[in-house]
Amino acid sequence: MPESNSSQYVGSRVKRREDPRLLTGRGRYVDDIKVAGMLHIAFRRSDYSHARILSIDTSAAKASPGVVEVFTAKDIEGEFNPVLAQSRMRDYQPTIMQILAADKVRFVGEAVVAVVAESRYLAEDAAALVEIEYDELPLVTDPEQALINSSAKLHEQMDSNVLLQREFNRGDVDEAFYGASVYIKERFRFTRKTSLAMENRTYLAEYNSAEQALTLHTTSQVPGIIRDILVDALDIPGSHLRVVAPDVGGGFGGKTSLYPEEVLAPILAKKLERPVKWTGDRIEDLISTSQGFDEIIDAEIAVDREGRILGLRADVIGDVGAYSIYPWTAGIEPVQVVSFLPGPYKIENYHGRVRGVATSKPPTGPYRGVGRPVSTFVMERLVDMAARELQMDPREIRQRNLVQPHEFPYKAASGIVWDQSGFTQGLNGACEAIGYDGLRRTQAQARAQGRMVGIGIASFAELTGIGSRLSASPGMPINTGTETASISVDSTGGITARFGVTSYGQGLETSLAQVVADELNVEISQIRILQGDSAAVSHSTGSYASRGAVLGAGAAILACRALDQKLKAVAAILLSSSAEDILIRDGVFSGPGSDEKLTFKDLAKAYYSQMGLIPAPIRNEIGELSATQMYDPEWGTTSSATHIALVEIDPDTFKVKVDKYVVAEDCGQMLNPMIVDGQVHGGVAQGIGAALYEEMIYDEQGQNLTASLVDYVVPSATEIPRMDVVHLDLEKPKTLGGVRGMGEGGTIGAPAAIANAVADALAPLGQQVTTLPVTPQRIFELVQAAKANQ
Amino acid sequence: MKAARLLPKSAPLVLLAASDREVIMKPAAFDYERPQTLDDALKLLASSDNAKIIAGGQSLMPMLNFRLLAPELLVDISRIDELRGIRETKGRGLSVGALTRHHEMETSKLVEERFPVIHEAMQYVAHLAIRNRGTIGGSLSHADPAAELPMMAVLLDAHLHVAGPNGLRQVAARDFFLGALTTDLEENEILVQVEFPGLPKRSAYAFDEFAQRSGDFALCSVAVILSWSGNFLTGGKKIGDVRIALMGVDETPVRIEVAEQLLSGAKHIDDPLLEQVASVIRDTIQPNGDLHASADYRRHLAYTMSQQTLKTAWQRLQGQTDED
Repeated sequence: MPESNSSQYVGSRVKRREDPRLLTGRGRYVDDIKVAGMLHIAFRRSDYSHARILSIDTSAAKASPGVVEVFTAKDIEGEFNPVLAQSRMRDYQPTIMQILAADKVRFVGEAVVAVVAESRYLAEDAAALVEIEYDELPLVTDPEQALINSSAKLHEQMDSNVLLQREFNRGDVDEAFYGASVYIKERFRFTRKTSLAMENRTYLAEYNSAEQALTLHTTSQVPGIIRDILVDALDIPGSHLRVVAPDVGGGFGGKTSLYPEEVLAPILAKKLERPVKWTGDRIEDLISTSQGFDEIIDAEIAVDREGRILGLRADVIGDVGAYSIYPWTAGIEPVQVVSFLPGPYKIENYHGRVRGVATSKPPTGPYRGVGRPVSTFVMERLVDMAARELQMDPREIRQRNLVQPHEFPYKAASGIVWDQSGFTQGLNGACEAIGYDGLRRTQAQARAQGRMVGIGIASFAELTGIGSRLSASPGMPINTGTETASISVDSTGGITARFGVTSYGQGLETSLAQVVADELNVEISQIRILQGDSAAVSHSTGSYASRGAVLGAGAAILACRALDQKLKAVAAILLSSSAEDILIRDGVFSGPGSDEKLTFKDLAKAYYSQMGLIPAPIRNEIGELSATQMYDPEWGTTSSATHIALVEIDPDTFKVKVDKYVVAEDCGQMLNPMIVDGQVHGGVAQGIGAALYEEMIYDEQGQNLTASLVDYVVPSATEIPRMDVVHLDLEKPKTLGGVRGMGEGGTIGAPAAIANAVADALAPLGQQVTTLPVTPQRIFELVQAAKANQ
Repeated sequence: MKAARLLPKSAPLVLLAASDREVIMKPAAFDYERPQTLDDALKLLASSDNAKIIAGGQSLMPMLNFRLLAPELLVDISRIDELRGIRETKGRGLSVGALTRHHEMETSKLVEERFPVIHEAMQYVAHLAIRNRGTIGGSLSHADPAAELPMMAVLLDAHLHVAGPNGLRQVAARDFFLGALTTDLEENEILVQVEFPGLPKRSAYAFDEFAQRSGDFALCSVAVILSWSGNFLTGGKKIGDVRIALMGVDETPVRIEVAEQLLSGAKHIDDPLLEQVASVIRDTIQPNGDLHASADYRRHLAYTMSQQTLKTAWQRLQGQTDED
């Protein structure tokens, strides 16, 4: 009998089940966990960006009240195996993670000494008493200087400071440029940012010497990755190492990497045989959590008279900081700038080169959008600049170059293959939603009055839900293409679904419950979702790269299907029907052979607890009422969107006000439109931060000048405009459930849309926006330059 | 006061600089006393070489947590009732106790009626949660160069009442603010009250502030008071008392007397005069550049915002003509 698949939860605005807990302060974060006998770590961090450590005197610290022990690199030598991020990229040089800096320091804020004390206060008191003598080494802070052969080297054993380089080629770029009507060349700068999760990084390690088992509670998006590497680093069997990420207060990519403190806490817990906790404070977060972006991009575009893009060229220098971050490598950010630069456009001739250069700053790592906020900023600026030269509307030039609906799958110039996605529909949808033509007329009137009003469009595409055929980071040798769901019905009928993909505020706990409830045809409140525990499933790499919904939902669907078969086989026996005739509706089993109806509880009790009811051979065959399945979407799928912003610049203060903002996006089947909206809103807010406010500033000495939230300026609620989100209802992708990833798109599109809008507002002055954030100070400089040119 | 402003704008916060300055988030141990009277508070202050007064804690707590300060003793004056409240004084003035919270100032009808400029400026002080805790005395004593209260004191020629071991003394606001985070207060003194003398009857104000985000420290702020003088009936009225104060553009809030003099005595303010005054303001101030605004940009802000603010005040002043 056909089963009614009413799909009552998937696609509806189910309220987030985690919110009552998180919003009323009842969440349980790592720092909330306090265990008996727990010790606290305070670090003495490097004052210098590049210096040799001559001596460390810890005697006063050791004598300080409450101090249990003080550790330097020497004291933990031999306690762990080296950790380094490998890559299949040619011309890649890995760096060895410094748990505590040995011999030399390579950025301000690098941990040098760990003080372990009975309280954090006492640990801080003692850390201040540590005396470290440094011998300053030549500065390696400017990436353009650092890539020159004669530059001082941050890692002496290496050939140069260039940790990686890569090139992409298609067609004949020189020839294409030769025939162009319009040619644009510009240097762009996307400055360094930080992901700035509300919850700082925190680690609590507990070692049970009786069982030789270690538990690490960590603020991580990727507890599975952390478990796997710590097994190697600490020589402890995976069965004896549990890595738990309880409630996590935001990640945005900053919690996808392994950190030195995360390795040190387990080492010290084992050495001291006492629980050890480190809770990063805001300064430590701002100077030692992985940072984002930071590229210089020299880019050129050639366009014919009709606005068709003939060729594209780019040379990218990525300032990747002092180390190649585990597991993603220093390639994750800058390489993606080059591989995604051609965007959603048909470009036959492309040359892109990228070099990732080590400098004495904290390592860069994944930050929401990874590479694509930068590539989209550059490409969309180039397209707008070309349109202006041609006196063509920005919408029109995009329309002429976007991959058209009949042209999918399309292999982009860098080799990325786009599957069917609403590129043109996104552009049209956004234009329609914002009333584009009318807006242009309004703008013309405003300009006539001397007002600085601008409209900015940004179209982009991204790969999401990537399967095992690609790596989430270019050249990274660990599989990021599969996820596991394990769903079980216990002897009381309770349904528990365990996932490797993690939640850190994005609502997966709800979205995944919706999928499971629909697949099993039960009330959603019956489903318990467990996440964030390396013991939940055998293998997982967690949530990042807009994969959680795609891979999590896919694994859930497969596991539910397998479980469904078992449940129906049992029900068939109990209801004297055949399995294919069993119907499950609202959590009740029925069949044509009987008037009886069974709840999950009835069925589970009958199966597990009643003696003699189920013949032994059948029970032996069916086994536990549970199913564990892995899902591999192979290549993943394409998500795309167009953002349009309307801005106005205050002529007196040069403050940019975002008056309208529209996103039209294709994320396939929405699991929960409210959560999709929330993800878009949050992503756009972060993108507005990148476009108008946020910049990690290091001086030439390598000192962080923005190590507090007074100076690292992030937008608050009052700076974020109302947004309209258009969800395109188009052909669904081939992923299970038809889901495309959409956690990062907001951050990818917004910097470009805002930059184009500000540039459009400044266009009458003949000035270009090439650096983000475009702060009031920078607009002031552009206006001054325009005046000077007059 | 606002979030943790740690150092004056002129010296961008360089953390973990190659120096003895440790920056961490947990305060060092300190003793704590909470006296009930001003006399007890003064005695406690005198008892230690390294004591700090705490009231709302909106600036001091971050400084303690960053260990920029490590006092031996914190004297919590928040229970001293005699330091509370807003009172009328003769001549349409107001006296405000040091423990008065920003939010009380913001919502006080008396303040709104007599000093609408303070009422408006208070809304720019950080965020509501901070205004609920932060005190007037704390803001004035902390003397952040981009705080609104010190600017109001300077604009309105306030008198600050200071209690010390030798009794009470009064300091004019202009003499009180010596530099960024630096005042005339001695270590053993407590600011107890600020007195705002009444404004001339026929006067108008305007206030403007620009910050990157709402609630941030101002990159520039301008406050203006214009008053009529002379005989309205005989047509001899002209602008009398003029006050122009800026903040965010120097180590302390500043009055621009040369600009004030240009307007005082004028019968009418037209655009060329506005531009002249704004130019004088721009050329008089001595702003420092920092991460968020260069000195040139601050001069630009001072110029454009002064023009706008003066214009608003002048329009409001003209509205005052018919009332009498």
